Parts: sequence; C-alpha cells; structure tokens
Amino acid sequence: MKMPIRPRTILAALALLAMSASLAQTTVSELAPVSELAPIADESEVLKIAALEALMSAPPERALPLVTKVLNSNNSNEVKLRALFVLSQIDLHEAQAQLLHVARSGDGELRGEAVRMIGIGGNAEALAGLADLYSSGNEDVRDAVLEAYMIAGDTDAVFQIAANANDAEEFEAAVEMLGIMGAQDDLRRLRESSNFSEILIEAFALSGDADTLRELALDGSDPETQARAIEALGIVGGESVNATLVEIYRSTDSDEVREAALSGMLISGHGQGMLELYRASDNVGEKRELLEALTIMRSDLVLDLIDEALAGDR
Amino acid sequence: MNEDTLILYYYNDGLSDRERRQVETAINTDTAVSAQYEALCRQLNDLSETDAQAVPSHTLQRWHDTIDRAAQQTHIRQQQPPGPFHIFSFAWGAAITAALAIGIGIGVYIAGGDTNTPMIELANVGSSAGNVVPASFTRGVRVHLQDTQQDLADLSLDADADRILLILKIIDQNRLFERAAEQNNSQSLARVLRAFEPILLRLAADDVTPEDAEALRAQLAFELSVMLTKLSRDTSNETQST
Repeated sequence: MKMPIRPRTILAALALLAMSASLAQTTVSELAPVSELAPIADESEVLKIAALEALMSAPPERALPLVTKVLNSNNSNEVKLRALFVLSQIDLHEAQAQLLHVARSGDGELRGEAVRMIGIGGNAEALAGLADLYSSGNEDVRDAVLEAYMIAGDTDAVFQIAANANDAEEFEAAVEMLGIMGAQDDLRRLRESSNFSEILIEAFALSGDADTLRELALDGSDPETQARAIEALGIVGGESVNATLVEIYRSTDSDEVREAALSGMLISGHGQGMLELYRASDNVGEKRELLEALTIMRSDLVLDLIDEALAGDR
Repeated sequence: MNEDTLILYYYNDGLSDRERRQVETAINTDTAVSAQYEALCRQLNDLSETDAQAVPSHTLQRWHDTIDRAAQQTHIRQQQPPGPFHIFSFAWGAAITAALAIGIGIGVYIAGGDTNTPMIELANVGSSAGNVVPASFTRGVRVHLQDTQQDLADLSLDADADRILLILKIIDQNRLFERAAEQNNSQSLARVLRAFEPILLRLAADDVTPEDAEALRAQLAFELSVMLTKLSRDTSNETQST
C-alpha cells in the first residue's frame, strides 16, 4: 500500500533533492574513490528519484527550481528522465519552456523524452515549437514528435505533416498516427486530396471508419484496393460490418473478393456468418474452406458442423 | 454531503431509518445537497440505462482470437532487429486494443476480468457540467493507477504470453479511463494516460530485453507514483479550500 506523504516527508525530500543537486555539482577530485562510492551512488540515485516523486506534493513554484537544478546538474540520465516527467506535471509556463529547451538542445535520450513530455503537458506554445524540431530532426525525433502529437490529441498537426509529406515513408507514418488517433475526418480529407495509398485503408480500419471502408469494399474499380478494404472491415468488426461481409461474400462472382470477405469474417470473428454460409452452400470445396476457417477461429460452432459432417446430415 | 451517503440513499441500501430521514431532510432543506442529489440521480439513471451486460460468447471468442493473432504476430516479428520504438508495432497494438476496447463502447466487462478493476461505468458517465472534475472519477482513476502499479509490480518479465495478456488488459483499462478522463473535463489526465500506452506496448513486445523491460517498468512505476501523488495533492488542496 502506498504510504501517505506527510509534510515532514515532503520537507525532507525537498532538502534531499537540493542537497543531491549540489552534491552532483561537486568536482570529481573532492569525492571518494568510485569503488567506495558505487553502492552509495546507486542508493543516492534511488533517493533522488524518490525525492523527485515526493516533489509532486510541493507547490509548483517551489518544485520548479529544484527540478530545473536536477536537470542542469551532473546527474545520470535516469534521474534526469524522471525529472522531465515531474516537469511536465508542473503547471507553470516556465516548466513548459524548460521542456522545449531540453527538446531542442538535450542529448538523444533526454531529447526524445522531453518531446514526449511536451505532448503530455499539452501546452499550445510548446507543441507549436515541435514543428521546427520535426522538420530538422532525424527519424527518431520525427517519430517522437508524432507520438507527442498523439498524446496531446493534436490531429491538426499530424494532418499537416501528412498533407505536406516529402516522401511515402513520412506520409505513411503520419497517416498511421491519424488512424491511431481516430481522426476519421482528417483521413477522409487525405483520401480526397492525395494519391490513394494502401496505408489509408489500414488507417481507416484503425480509426474505426466502417463507412469509408464499406464504400471502398463495394467499389470494384480496383480489385486489389477492394480486397484490402474488405479485409480491413473485419478489423472494425461489429454487427453491421459482419452483415456487409456476408452480403459481399454471397453476392460476388469474384473468387478474390469472396476470399477477402472470408478473411474479413475471420478477422472480425464472425463465426455465425460463416456457419450460415456453410449451411447454405452445396459446394463441397466451399464447405471445406468455411469449415477450415471456423476451425482456425476455434469456434465452438465448428464442433456442431463436424458432428453434422460426420453424420452426413447436410 | 458525502457522495457515498447519497448513493446509498439512492439505492435505498445501507442506511438506517434515522440516517435516511436525515438525508431526506437535507435534500429538502439544503439547496446545495438537493442539487448534488439531482446530479447524482442523473448520472445513476444514465448508468442503469446502459447497464453492464454479459459478454456474448462470440465477442469473447473474438477477443481470444485477437489475442492469439497478436501472439502469432509477435512471434513472426522475433526475427526483426529490436528498435527503440517502431510506430508500426504501436499501430498493431492499437488495432488489438481497438478490438479489445469494443467492450468499452457498449459498456461491458471482459468476462472473467479482474473484479477489483474499477467501474466500467466510468466510461458511460456523460459529460460533466462545466469544468468540474467529479470526485468519483478522481477516486476511480486513483484506484486504476494503483491497480496498474500493482499489476506491473507482479508482472513476470520472463513469461511472454502471460506478460502480453496482462499488458493488454492494462491497456484496455487504461483506454477506458483515458476516454472517461476526456468526458470528465480532465484533458491533462487523459494525455498522461495516453502517454502510458506506447510504453506499455514496448513492454509487451517479445523482443524487449530483460534490461529494457525492467527500465520500462521502472519508468511506468515512477510516472504512476507521481500521478498518484499529484492526485492526492489536488484532492487535499480541494478539501482544504472547501
């Protein structure tokens, strides 16, 4: 059970943090040999992290200078990473500015974490500062910025990246993130404004946009896109989608489309639909295919079918 | 008046006749209590309309299949070199959790789920008026964070299948609370909960090294603790200011 934090504990933690930050600034020559200090150093690290946690109980004005001091001192990255999270939870403009500073100038690990923290902080000014960082950053930085936008729920920023992407990889990463964020309207705008890409189908599925997928699934002008959309419908799932998949399966003359509809049902877990199709079919090959699909699903329904097949009922 | 007392009064349960009369008097004479009770009634009425149902067997089967496919997918990925964070693994995780989270939208529990996990009904609570974060929601989040902390502490970093299942369960719960946070005027909390998800997915990856897994777990443990401390502080400040 988590112990309640008392005022005295907070004061002790604040004192410890202030002391540890000062200690970290002590020159190496003033310290004892490393071999003697090693276990204490670990313990000191644990205490610093505990102190940072306790700092959350302090008023933001008191906490901010101490966290800043930890970041500017010669602490390990682990301690600084923890300090960044605490900083993200301090509701002061200076804290967000400090995060942006680390995001721009910190080393790789701290930089990525500071970007994540800006997403958590959700401060509009700091989020706007990520745009430059994205443009000038490497792939890791760009991924971190996309993740920060996702955390902040800033679909506009991700849409802008997708709409202005310089290459397919950049476009795909942004579109995928829009899918994760459930940004259906933005994805539809991209569908209209850019060259259609398979990644959009995946993103429609991730965002749960059954309407757009259904439209694509019923459009036979591009068989490959149609098949992908039918399968993606299975990811969305639901009664209405299941009914659509069964209907597509029944009404098509194309083997590819029928196969995609079966895959969709498999992904969606629509065993009942497969069972109906099995019972309605007179084709042995088709029955076998449906039975195999039900077996893959490990549906209890398959036991009834096996029983029927062995009995030669239908 | 204490919200728990009003809940007991609403359900006509757990209060003596004298206590019921006291509550009744307070509702009839104190406008603040009357307003509080009316708001509570609205929330509870909404809940009863979308009461939790048993999960249909085919839905349960679908979840199981989704989890199986996730396990197969992670097995296929074993040959790929590990990276710090791959956006597509997150996308896959999102697809899985999207499938798992279907239950959230229709207000059901995952059958056989942990009965200690709090209140699916949080997701069904309608948008709260104004900018007030309901105390019941804050309490629910604290329980969720504590449960997550405990689950992560108990997590075996060796057993892959068990680890993935447990983490998917945590993600599922986390998404529920993230949505509830959005509905309860707590965007800052929603962002923090959203930020946990990529870390949890990295922890669920089968190619994570024991050292990295331990580091991720430590990071989450710290962040959960900080949030619990912050929520305690905020609650304490509110109590003192009232």
